[in-house]
This record gives sequence, structure tokens and C-alpha cells, in this order.
Amino acid sequence: MINTIIYGLTIGAILYFISIGLSLTFGTMKIVNFAHALVYTVGIYMVITFLPLLKGNFWVAALIGTAVVVPISYVIERFIIRRLYGESLDYAIIATYAVLLIGVDAIKWIWGVNPYPMSDPIGKYLSLGGLTIPVYRILIVVIAVLLFGALNFFFRKSIVGKIVVAALEDKDGVRCLGIKVDKYFSVVFMLGSALAALGGILYAPITSIHPYMGFTVLLLSFSVVIVGGMGNLNGTFVSAFALGLVMSFTARYWSQAAETMVFIVMAIMLIIKPIEI
Amino acid sequence: MKKEAEKTPGPMTDFLEFKRHLPKERILLELVIVAGGFVLLAPILKVQRVTDFMIFCIFVLSFDLLYGYMGRLSFGHMLFLGAGAYGGGLCIRYITKDPLLAILAGIVLAGLLAMLIGPIIVRTTGACFALINLAFNQVGFFLVLSVLRKITKGEDGLGVVPAGLGGLNLGSRPIMFGFVLFFLLLTFYVLRRVTTSPYGYLIRSIKEDETRVKFLGYNTFLYKWLTYVLAGCLAGLAGTLNALNYGYVNPNFMDTHRNVDVVFAVLIGGAGNLYGSIIGGVVYMVISNYLAIYIPRWEIVLGMALLILVFRFRQGIWGYVRKKGARRSIPAEIGVERG
Repeated sequence: MINTIIYGLTIGAILYFISIGLSLTFGTMKIVNFAHALVYTVGIYMVITFLPLLKGNFWVAALIGTAVVVPISYVIERFIIRRLYGESLDYAIIATYAVLLIGVDAIKWIWGVNPYPMSDPIGKYLSLGGLTIPVYRILIVVIAVLLFGALNFFFRKSIVGKIVVAALEDKDGVRCLGIKVDKYFSVVFMLGSALAALGGILYAPITSIHPYMGFTVLLLSFSVVIVGGMGNLNGTFVSAFALGLVMSFTARYWSQAAETMVFIVMAIMLIIKPIEI
Repeated sequence: MKKEAEKTPGPMTDFLEFKRHLPKERILLELVIVAGGFVLLAPILKVQRVTDFMIFCIFVLSFDLLYGYMGRLSFGHMLFLGAGAYGGGLCIRYITKDPLLAILAGIVLAGLLAMLIGPIIVRTTGACFALINLAFNQVGFFLVLSVLRKITKGEDGLGVVPAGLGGLNLGSRPIMFGFVLFFLLLTFYVLRRVTTSPYGYLIRSIKEDETRVKFLGYNTFLYKWLTYVLAGCLAGLAGTLNALNYGYVNPNFMDTHRNVDVVFAVLIGGAGNLYGSIIGGVVYMVISNYLAIYIPRWEIVLGMALLILVFRFRQGIWGYVRKKGARRSIPAEIGVERG
């Protein structure tokens, strides 16, 4: 039982990492970014590449993987999304999906389609009254909670964060104050992408790594955003952990239905509270 | 006075009334052109291939109704193709081997599915609409792959061998060709009539500005739902035909990764036009059947082509042809006036 809860919290933490970026781009730009799944995957493959060079130092590799994603996401934002921004949602969806297709195929080209195994970077276990819990999973949850605090600080106290929060409420109002909103959106976009990559990297030792891993995760984190409310950062945090627990408890009784259950929760949420963009 | 009052458009009355904007002769001519095009194509490529093309065209037409006409981009339309394929396949395996009843079963299953999930889905627009469709598609894929494994035989799929159609053997390629062509023309005819009816104009207005349509007193939810169900039924028809044509059905018919095919086909042909859909369907199938063999990195090329379509060539092939045609005809008209 406790293991199930720990597992659910771990999944929730990972979903939180990935959903922040989606929630922010949804809330500010009203664009769904399929390329989010790409940066998530790229981060993991970077770690796989750099891990042997760094003699297995997972944390440095994770930093490099996260850093590599930033320029990639800048290019995507600058040359794809900003050019379609405000024109048509549909074209933006199709264009970012095209980027995802290109990127995933490039990954298949460079690294091959075979899944990579990856071992637990800490490898220690905490035993609590007959239960053994991997320290790594607890660490992921702790990092997520810390991140939540840091992001809250960032969006409440820093000027960039304040501008973004204001733009979530009323974009045109912020623009009328003479602030170049697009520039800040770009920053937020890169931040979200980097966090998605970090989430992917932290998730990599628990799951299997293959080029198409981003697709499912994207759908799951999209459900998180819907359930939590678009552009609602606290809502995203709560719904990520709630859906993580939903997944783990479903998996306990019926392992294959875990993802489906999340979509069912999302559908119920949509019936209760329809969304208009 | 009273007569005029009766004529004012009401939400439900003029939807059912299909006005004859199109003369019968025009529709007949168009049907002959479409049929002639495919019949001419058959000996050049292979009959079997062209049958495949036509089924894909039905699918593209159904998607175009949703995306091109109503402006709702779905990334999960394969769900209905798969539902139709499984509806037909299961009907043939467990109930009857009659191909027409199988097609009916496929359409009914896809339609019921669309009716069921439609009220949830059509509330959303834009990105939500695309992704919720994708999520449901994923659920459907999971259902046929593992939950309903006992009925659908999971990954192995079902063999679908229909009985003859009144003495005609559907196993023979030319007969299958004619059979599919009939359904393509039927789909084209239905959509041509539907899209030129007041209902068709209404869903196009929903694409332009749904709020204003609501202000006019129309229940947009109902019309969106109806369109969704119609598109689902037609995709189901394409799915059943696919199952009959290939002789089997497996979860690949519902594969979420293949949704991009139909989006690409609609874009390359030109969204919001029935000819565009047919041209797009044929062009996409030609590219994926012939070029994909020579191109090792097919997805990269497909992605690049999509980007080019989105940034540079939005009107598609049919839009381009029409623009060229319009340019040529306008100076001619001016010339006539001057003369």
C-alpha cells in the first residue's frame, strides 16, 4: 500500500515537471506544443550519450541534458511558434506536431529504435518496517516539492514571473503597459522545456527509454493541465500528484488500465467543467 | 405577413430542408468526373492500389467535414476508422457474412461511439479538441488491444472474409474496386449535398465565429455534435471497407500515430473542399506508396512537408488550382466588358 502511494507520488512528481511547461504555454500563448514531447525525449537521449563520457555521473549528465534542451526550445519557439502565433491554433498544432515527427525520426536515426536500459543512479534503499523504498523515488518527490516552492517564489517575487502571471490574466493589458510580452513568453517557453527535459531525465531510470516515449507522456501531462486548469500553477501541482496516485492505484489492481484511467478522469472533469479557449 | 413569418429560419426547420442550391446535372457531372478519374487511374497503377486509395479518400472526406468545414482539428480520427473496421470485422466473424450488413454494423458502431463521446468532445475547441480526440483514440487502441482481447483477438487481429454480394465475389479485385467506388461516390454525393445545404453553411459559420452563430439563436452544440457523428459514421464506413479490402482487422487500424496521414492529406489537397480532399487523398497515397520506398527517413520528409504546407502552401493543391483559374478568368471578363 505504502509502496503504491510512493510510486504514485513519483509519477505525480514527474508529471508535474512536464506539465508546468504545457500549462504555461497553454495559459499564455493558447498553443498546444507537441514539441514538448520532443524536448522531453531529447533530454533523456543526451543523458544516455553523456553518461559514459562522464564515467557514470548521473547528476552532471542530467544538468547537461537539461541545458542542451534550452537552445533547441528557443529555435522551436522563435522559428515555428512565434511565426504562427495569433494566426491559427490549428496550424500551430500541426507545425509543432511536424517538429515532433522530425525530431523523433532524427532520434531513431542517431540512436536507433531499441530501448535503452538505465540503472538507478543512487541504488540505495530505505527500509521501513519490512518495506524497502528506493531512495531515488523519494528524492524525485522532494525535488518536485522544492521546485514547486521555487516556482511560486519566482512567479510571486521576481519581475519576470510577475509579468508572466499578469499576462496569464490579461495579455493585452500587459502589452498596453509597454512590456514586450513575447520576449517573456519566450523565456517561459524555454523554462518549461528545460523542466520537461529534467522531468524526463529523472524518470528515465524508472522507465524504459525509446524514441516514442514522449507521445504517451504528453497525453498524460495534457490531462494534468486540463484537470488542474490551464495556466493555473497550483492547480497543476495538485492535479499532477492526484493523477499520479490515480495511475498507481489503478495499476495496483489492473496494470494495463493505468493510463486509460487518467483519460477517464479527464473526461469526467470536462463534463463537470467544460473548457473554452 | 404570415407567410413571411413562416419563412424565417429557425434552428431545426431549415436544417432538415435540403435546398437545391446545386442543380442535379452538376452533381451528376461531378460524380462522373470523380468516377472517371479513378477508373482511368486503375490501369495505370494497380486496381488493388486504387481501391486502397479510394478508401483513404472516403476517410479524408470524413475528416475534411470535421476540419475543413467545421474547423475542428482532430488528432484522433483513426478511432472511428478502427471502430468501423472492428464493427464490420466482428459482425462478419460472429453474426453474418453479408458484406452490406457488415458495413452497416461498422457505421453503426462508429456512429454510436461518436454519439457517446461527442457531447464531451464537442464542448472544446482548438488544442483541447485535438488532444481529447487523441486521448480517446489511445483509450480505444488500448481497449481493442488488451481489454477486449477475447473478442478482438488482440494484436493478432481478426480475419475478415465476407460472403459474396448476390453472386458477385468480393474477393475478385475489379468487383471490389466497383464496390468501393460505389461507396466513395455515395459519400461524395452525401457530403456535396450536406455541405451545400443550409446546415452546411451553418457549420461553416461555426468555423468562422461560433459566438455569433449562437447569438443568432442556433444551438451550436447540437450542430457540432451532429457533424461529429456524421464524420464518425463516414470514417467508420472507410474502416469497414478497409477491413473488407485487406481481409483482416488488427489494432493498427486504430494506431494513433497514423492520424497525421489524414491531416497531411487534407492540407495538401486543400482543406474545406471536397475535391481538395480527394486530390489530397490520392496525392498522399501516391507519395506514401511510391516515394516512401525510396526515402529511408520517411517521417522527417513528412514533417518537413507539413512545415512547408503550414508556412507556404496553405491553400493546398485545389486552392492553388482555383486561384490560378480565377486569375485567368478575371482579366478575360474585364476584356469582355471593355469589348
